[in-house]
Amino acid sequence: MSNSGARVLETEVLVIGGGVTGAGVMRDLALRGVNCLLIDRRDLNAGASGGNHGLLHSGGRYAAADAETAAECRREGELLKQLAPECIDDCGGMFVAVDGDDEGFAQRFPDHCKTAGIPCEVLTPAEARQREPALPETVITAFAVPDATIDPFRLALENVSHAQHLNGSDFLPHISVEAFDISGGIIKTVQCRDLRSGDLVQIRAQQVVNASGAWALKIARLAGCSDVNLLYSKGTLLISNSRISNGVINRLRLPGDGDILVPGGTVSLLGTSSVTISDPDDFRPTVGEVDRIIQEGAQMLPVLNDTRFIRAFSGVRPLLMASGAADDGRKASRGFVLFDHEDQGLANFATIAGGKLTTFRLMAEKTVDLVARRLANTVPCKTATEPLPSGDAIRWTQPGLAARDWFQRADPTDLILCECEMVARSTVDKIVKSAPGAEDHMSLKAIAGRSRIGKGACQGAFCAMRVTSHLYDTGVYDSRDGLEQMRDFINERFRGVRPVSWGEQLPQMELAEILHCGLAGLDLPDRDETDGSS
Amino acid sequence: MIEQTWDDVIDFMAVAKELLPEGATYSSCVGCGLCASGCPASGLFGMDPRRFINMAVQGLNEELSSTPWVWACTQCKRCAYVCPMGIDVSLLVGVARGGWPKEDKPKGIVRSCEAQMLDKSTSAMGLRSEDFVEIVEETVAELRESDARFAQINAPIDKVGAKFVVNQNSREPAVEPEEMAPMWKIFDYVGADWTYASKGWAAENFCMFTGDDAAWKEMVKTRVDAINDLDCEVWINTECGHSFYTLWKGVERFGLKADFETASLVSYYAQWIREGRLPVNADWNVNNLKFTVQDPCQLVRKSIGDPVADDLRFVMKALVGEDNFIDMQPSRSANYCCGGGGGFLQAGMAAERRAYGKRKFDQILATDADYVLTPCHNCHSQIDDIGTHFGGAYNVAHIWTLICLSLGILGADERKYLGPELAKINLPSTP
Repeated sequence: MSNSGARVLETEVLVIGGGVTGAGVMRDLALRGVNCLLIDRRDLNAGASGGNHGLLHSGGRYAAADAETAAECRREGELLKQLAPECIDDCGGMFVAVDGDDEGFAQRFPDHCKTAGIPCEVLTPAEARQREPALPETVITAFAVPDATIDPFRLALENVSHAQHLNGSDFLPHISVEAFDISGGIIKTVQCRDLRSGDLVQIRAQQVVNASGAWALKIARLAGCSDVNLLYSKGTLLISNSRISNGVINRLRLPGDGDILVPGGTVSLLGTSSVTISDPDDFRPTVGEVDRIIQEGAQMLPVLNDTRFIRAFSGVRPLLMASGAADDGRKASRGFVLFDHEDQGLANFATIAGGKLTTFRLMAEKTVDLVARRLANTVPCKTATEPLPSGDAIRWTQPGLAARDWFQRADPTDLILCECEMVARSTVDKIVKSAPGAEDHMSLKAIAGRSRIGKGACQGAFCAMRVTSHLYDTGVYDSRDGLEQMRDFINERFRGVRPVSWGEQLPQMELAEILHCGLAGLDLPDRDETDGSS
Repeated sequence: MIEQTWDDVIDFMAVAKELLPEGATYSSCVGCGLCASGCPASGLFGMDPRRFINMAVQGLNEELSSTPWVWACTQCKRCAYVCPMGIDVSLLVGVARGGWPKEDKPKGIVRSCEAQMLDKSTSAMGLRSEDFVEIVEETVAELRESDARFAQINAPIDKVGAKFVVNQNSREPAVEPEEMAPMWKIFDYVGADWTYASKGWAAENFCMFTGDDAAWKEMVKTRVDAINDLDCEVWINTECGHSFYTLWKGVERFGLKADFETASLVSYYAQWIREGRLPVNADWNVNNLKFTVQDPCQLVRKSIGDPVADDLRFVMKALVGEDNFIDMQPSRSANYCCGGGGGFLQAGMAAERRAYGKRKFDQILATDADYVLTPCHNCHSQIDDIGTHFGGAYNVAHIWTLICLSLGILGADERKYLGPELAKINLPSTP
């Protein structure tokens, strides 16, 4: 393809990677009056930002091994509870040891918390069970900590939406970086591809921020930088059909598989595994991991043996690897590093890597401090004091919200498209019209990423077809494209259901198969995909 | 912060897990929607059975505790019947009802239950035992006088050791005592050894509908004790749906000791016809009037099941002629509730009740029937009301009316539920 047909976009700062860090960088820049363009090869939160527990760490998890990260988690967690309360369920948390766990480790826990400044309250086993009835009789030690949960999808949407409204900064999905045009130690143009249309997109920016998470190493290499070294640690999590615990329940031991159960509003998330992988583009949850997570988790919460899980998913932790460090994801630092790449001969490129969901704001602040200095912008960071604004197109990822909202309105003309989560037609319309990343022919996956569609027990069995039909009705889809979107979405959901297809979820999967294969024939190739002889 | 309340309201998921069998709790729902599509209460107050489950799964306990939909659901259990996982939503509708503050519950249901508690008669219309005895005695005397054929007829009360003890819906003694006579005539015709009980005779139980289990239990206990005292073999429930279910289920649910069998009058009609003791036929139906039948949910789906629906159809066909009986679709255990059950008729929610009943009305209209027969007083009232409201041309009648009509023993004053075309058919000859 010739460059003459390429779209050319100009901005002050190009931010690569639509996770919460990139979204946070975008908003921080906009608050300092800097125009930026955020791009992602897929969509907002498509990587680790969307593939995690949604845990707003008190820091307790890292108190023993990494006091600095623990203290950072505590400070940032407290800030976020002030600035984005609508994204947070301040449910509290608990560290629990059961028979057979290392009692010495358990006894040292309060001291570690004290060092990191984390409030830690001793609970008797009876008190612990009173707070969390799902805990077994075998609890020996328990401490309450100020863990909370956060909705990373809403968090990213609010950051992007705020930046868009502040100064017209923009977000573009499905834009993949292919090459950097560098001359004189300056990135002049970033050559990108619009993966949907196949068109070349050239982006000219004064500064380029690499906030691409697990892909930060690849992006840095594309820019000729060899200083970013990441360890890819796959973590798999399971989602239960309903909420199991009131608050976060952590196993009081050195981090291992299946030792954190986190409420996700109306559901619970159990995880994780930690499996080192070589390629952040090639992973999926496996049956083996799922079995191990439940086996380990059930030692602390026997109820997990009888729990209906509706889906498994994996994320890739981009862990910073110090040179010579062991190849072990559990032991790698959860801290973050900002690379200015100046020793790599680049003056307008920065990479922010590592870190935690909980510390995304701080990561963005440090990054933008550097970028602003380079742009001679002296406006101070405002993200530590400026609350995150919500909006009617960006609040629908909150579990239970759609159901409550619909129930309150009880408007019979506003049909429910997704029954499990009770997502109404009007919600889909709002997202398609004005959520960050809204575009013509918006994908079903993108709509689902901005709502609870496909998140319930049926995992898209019904809503995929209903939402697609609605989008055809309203003209959002007008060609075979919509059916392709539907098939993509269903395939993506199936990946997550497959490893948990036993017990009560198995008939659910069979029903989905009847609908998708038996009724809609989605397992058959499209006629225009075949050679036409049929 | 996300608002999530975890105390002070009913935890529906937990209650479902406790009350429902393993594999059929709310966590087993596959969301197929068979319940919702077959529920006449779907759409009322924005709810349906699937939404009830989904909201419970999502922990929307406050909403479920307060939605008036629980009074529009008649607890007919059709959802449970069609559910591939066997999930029963109605049980938790009952729990939700019970959680409502008494002053907020529909007053009609609460008052009916309170009336039942006033006297051992257990009558929702406040008829005391001595009133009932007096009305029965007076009505028997009138009947003996007016019809020579029944000059010796009896309606025994508290006869110890009779084979059958029979109950009586309060509507007849309170409002239309002459409607008691057809049933007596049938018993007389077959020579049944039967009795009423002066205590616990009333065939209604609104206490169950209030969601107050203690009151439900008290009602059933009064009745079971009274029946036990009479030392009879079989308790025959009159043409009423929920009065059967409430006792039959109540005995099991509350672990009561009942020294008698429970049976529906419908089953005995069928038995007596089969035995030739009630030699009914359809000869009277010279104009080929069309009939359909409403299966009372409480009697068929919720209690005895299809065997009593089969009996009902056998009786109907014998009475009106095979070709003149047209079944509704769906029917028997899959039948739609008419909307008169669960206390809906007494709940003061006429608009919702009629919207619910529209499905039944359309079902009836599709049969083209001139008459709807039903062995249930609530079905009777509701189907009559929706017929008037939506402009149907059908009549609603009791089965005892048609049996006596066919046998030529139905008096002129016992035909209030028949149309003018049957006013003079098969009138008893006056000697």
